[in-house]
Amino acid sequence: MVVATDAHAAPRPAPASITGGAFGRAAWREVAVLATPALLLFGAFIVLPFVLAVAASLSNAKLLQGGDPAWVGLAHYERLFGVHLVSVDAVADKTPMRQWRELRRASAPRHDDFQYLASVDAGARRWIVAARDTQFLRAVANTFWFVLLVVPLQTMLALLMALAVNRAYPGRTLLRTVFFAPVVTSMVVVSVVWGLLLHTDEGLINRALVALFGAGAPQPDWLGDARLAMPSIAMMSAWQGAGFQMLVFLAGLQSIPKELYEAAQVEGATRWQQFVHVTLPGLRRTFVFVLLATTIAAFGLFTQVDVLTKGGPLDATTTIMHRAVQVGVRDQDVAYGSAMALVFFVLVLVLSLAQKRLLARMDR
Amino acid sequence: MSAAACPENRPAGAAPSANMRAFAMRLLLAAALVLAGLVFAYPLLFMFAASFKPADAIFADIANPLALLPDARWSLVNYRNVFDKSAVGSYLLNSTTIALVTIVAGVFVNSALAFAIAKLQWRGRHGVLALVLALLIVPLEVLAIPMMLVVAHLPWFDAARGVFVVGWLDTLHVQIVPFVANAFCVFLFHQAFKDLPDELIEAARMDGAGAMTIYLRIVLPLCKPTVATAAIVIFLAMWNQYLWPVMTVQTGGARPVMVGLQQFFGRTNQWGEIMAYATLITLPVLAFFLVIQKHFVRSVVGSGIKG
Amino acid sequence: MSIGSQTSSLAIELRGVHKRYDERAERAVFSALDLVIPRGSFTVLVGPSGCGKSTLLRMIAGLEAVSAGELLFDGVRVNDKPPVARGVAMVFQNYALYGHMSVYDNIGFGLRIAGVPKAERHAAIVDAARQLDLEALLQRKPSMLSGGQRQRVAIGRAIVRRPRAFLFDEPLSNLDASLRGSLRAEIAQLHQRLRTTTVYVTHDQVEAMTLADQIVVLSPQGLEQVGTPDALYDTPGNVFVAGFIGGQRMNLLPVDAMHDAALRALGAGQAAQLALQGVAHVGVRPEDIDLVAGDAARIERIERLGADSLVHLQAGGARFTALSADRQLAPGDLVGVAARRQHHFDGTGRRTPRPAP
Repeated sequence: MVVATDAHAAPRPAPASITGGAFGRAAWREVAVLATPALLLFGAFIVLPFVLAVAASLSNAKLLQGGDPAWVGLAHYERLFGVHLVSVDAVADKTPMRQWRELRRASAPRHDDFQYLASVDAGARRWIVAARDTQFLRAVANTFWFVLLVVPLQTMLALLMALAVNRAYPGRTLLRTVFFAPVVTSMVVVSVVWGLLLHTDEGLINRALVALFGAGAPQPDWLGDARLAMPSIAMMSAWQGAGFQMLVFLAGLQSIPKELYEAAQVEGATRWQQFVHVTLPGLRRTFVFVLLATTIAAFGLFTQVDVLTKGGPLDATTTIMHRAVQVGVRDQDVAYGSAMALVFFVLVLVLSLAQKRLLARMDR
Repeated sequence: MSAAACPENRPAGAAPSANMRAFAMRLLLAAALVLAGLVFAYPLLFMFAASFKPADAIFADIANPLALLPDARWSLVNYRNVFDKSAVGSYLLNSTTIALVTIVAGVFVNSALAFAIAKLQWRGRHGVLALVLALLIVPLEVLAIPMMLVVAHLPWFDAARGVFVVGWLDTLHVQIVPFVANAFCVFLFHQAFKDLPDELIEAARMDGAGAMTIYLRIVLPLCKPTVATAAIVIFLAMWNQYLWPVMTVQTGGARPVMVGLQQFFGRTNQWGEIMAYATLITLPVLAFFLVIQKHFVRSVVGSGIKG
Repeated sequence: MSIGSQTSSLAIELRGVHKRYDERAERAVFSALDLVIPRGSFTVLVGPSGCGKSTLLRMIAGLEAVSAGELLFDGVRVNDKPPVARGVAMVFQNYALYGHMSVYDNIGFGLRIAGVPKAERHAAIVDAARQLDLEALLQRKPSMLSGGQRQRVAIGRAIVRRPRAFLFDEPLSNLDASLRGSLRAEIAQLHQRLRTTTVYVTHDQVEAMTLADQIVVLSPQGLEQVGTPDALYDTPGNVFVAGFIGGQRMNLLPVDAMHDAALRALGAGQAAQLALQGVAHVGVRPEDIDLVAGDAARIERIERLGADSLVHLQAGGARFTALSADRQLAPGDLVGVAARRQHHFDGTGRRTPRPAP
């Protein structure tokens, strides 16, 4: 940015009057013309929908509907988080699901509406978890699982990539472009291409396994196996997203003053020691930012699932937002979908505040 | 790895075997980087190569890395089929229109607000800044459903027919207007404007310029890199948009490319054509990026986004 | 505002001016400030950092609001007028040039805003450029100019509008020492030529002394003294002004037992006597002390300044300095000292007249 002003003058308190008090009304007109368009759009398309989302989640509104929506209070949230935990005998001849059904029938109406979700055996007791909306809870679990998979992977990848392209050498720009290219590519395209690469019979990865290990090599069903689907999605998501975080790490790396490295060299530190004692501490803030930004983005997982697996197989890849869109738009239950979306928002909000707090504390 | 293999780190009189070892290490490192680059680039290179091949050729070669290289079987058949079987041409036009209009409108709308907050003095400017920063956190997914309700009831002037209509669904503008105001861009511009010395604005005031003149003639022209960054951010977001169009655009008239691809993907398993479609909608963006990437990287890396 | 319509200069007056940075601030920057800036004068506001001199200038410019009191231009109250309506032009410390415009456009920007027709504008710009030796640089951008050239462009931008007053905010502070001298001379010449009222802020008392018709000395406590350079030099009104004005810092000797020997050596008299007269400090400028043969004081250290030397002396435990052209002096020498001029200050720091000998 070319600005022809040199060194900074001693800081002074903010000038009182570029528009301010002394020149009154004309000043407000200036502000209004400049600020209103954006504020109006924010109001109409962010604030208003947000308020509506909250209101809808407390009602039973439908998307295209007949009668008037009625107030239902926190009913949707009770449904989302309704969980019952009971213990029964751990018997070998009955499946937990059957035990649950019997228990529910026997103790009606206490456990009505609650479906079996999962169970754990501890010694002679079997603990059964049942929920009102098992799909949602499974979606929450899947989302957390995805976050746990993708965040470390993507962050590490981004850090390695940033370290790789930090210094100049022939071909560095090409490498950086290669690393960044997936970021620019749409997630839909990424999903489609990886869909082919992960194809069970004909996909690249499985074919490569055959090429490497011969005919008896494992041929996993990457997207069709309930245990592998989410990790596969995590892998492609990390591939797509790491490039952007690489730039953030690059910014962090370049903000570490060269003098620190020079001082360490003068004291005889090896390259590895320099990395551990200068680079890593210097990246702490950046690390926190990247971790949390990636986490927040990861919680919103939707596109890859919608394109490739549609939430399957067997709800293994359904996520909070995918359920929310499915319920709210495709099943037309706006109220319930909004409740889910708001749960997601609270999650993101808590994480963002935690990031702010962490960064502030690190500054001290 | 951060200090890489810097020859200046080694004392001048190092023994020849140490030099050879260092050289070997550098070679190894270089090889590792080349390999990493190739592996990373593979999916996109594959997509590109596969778009020129018939389906059986794709699968026959799939485990063969050399298949990335052009050969006799490459042709444009897949592309021709894509254009025949889908309205991808008009989808491309839609996406381009959406992106360009949003960029132009977005640059002005967002920078104007950022300027008012950063350089003008008025009661409430800190509150508005805090509000905009808070909006950064709210993801589209949370708002998408009620936003649909909102846009379904908004009026619009249909210039072609000269009437007011209610509802924005299945239009281009439903994919544009809600996204013109962008909290991230406001933030970007705010950071850039904040860095401009106040004296510059004051000098312009002394010269008799009003706020709008200062904004248009001085502040904005001085922040061209930021304008470029904002344009890129908006372009990427609008071109790659998926969730919102999937929800609000059911008919083909206003459909953007990403939804088009997803539909195509669901309708056929002619992988060659799918790859051709994907390449068609990715290549413009990639090419554009190859050209301006140096500026973009410099501005992102330099702007202190890190925290 | 078109060029040429306002050729007369302003007389500026501040009456009872108060300034707080915001409504709730405890400390006021100025309270009940009265100041007159005569028409056509070159008034320098000088003082250490943080004394509010820039704030005062910006209030005159219209960039800061006056919290209370009146700001009058030729007797007309201008508190609520925006800068452009006041007919003043300002030159900033950091030049504040529009980096994306050429020198030509920088100078002409204000005229463009005012709607001055192109031909007239061109003539004015070229004329200003000629006055400041910028003709060859008109098509360049500020980033291609040196610091001195940039500042001249800033001055050009100011003069082209034929303002009724020039306001300079520490314009030379960002320049190398060598450049400061030549630009200072140009500013002085400009004032000679145009005779426009000029208000000039600096923390450098040398600039103040060389440029000003009238110096306004400001301290964190407020306005200390207003007067011509000679008046401030010869009769500083208080300890602050005495210590601030003058090439080398004035020796301010407290009237107490420790400094008794030094006071007597300089010919000021005995500490006890001075105390009875109500004198709390005796000020003697280093350049007003002659070093003669004697043994009243010992030379501790000599700082060579070229032609003169700053001699650090010690008498009876008290230290003071003298300016001398004598090259033969060496540390450890004993010398006699004689003060050609003294200033007396009372317990509140204010000047007290010396009793007739």
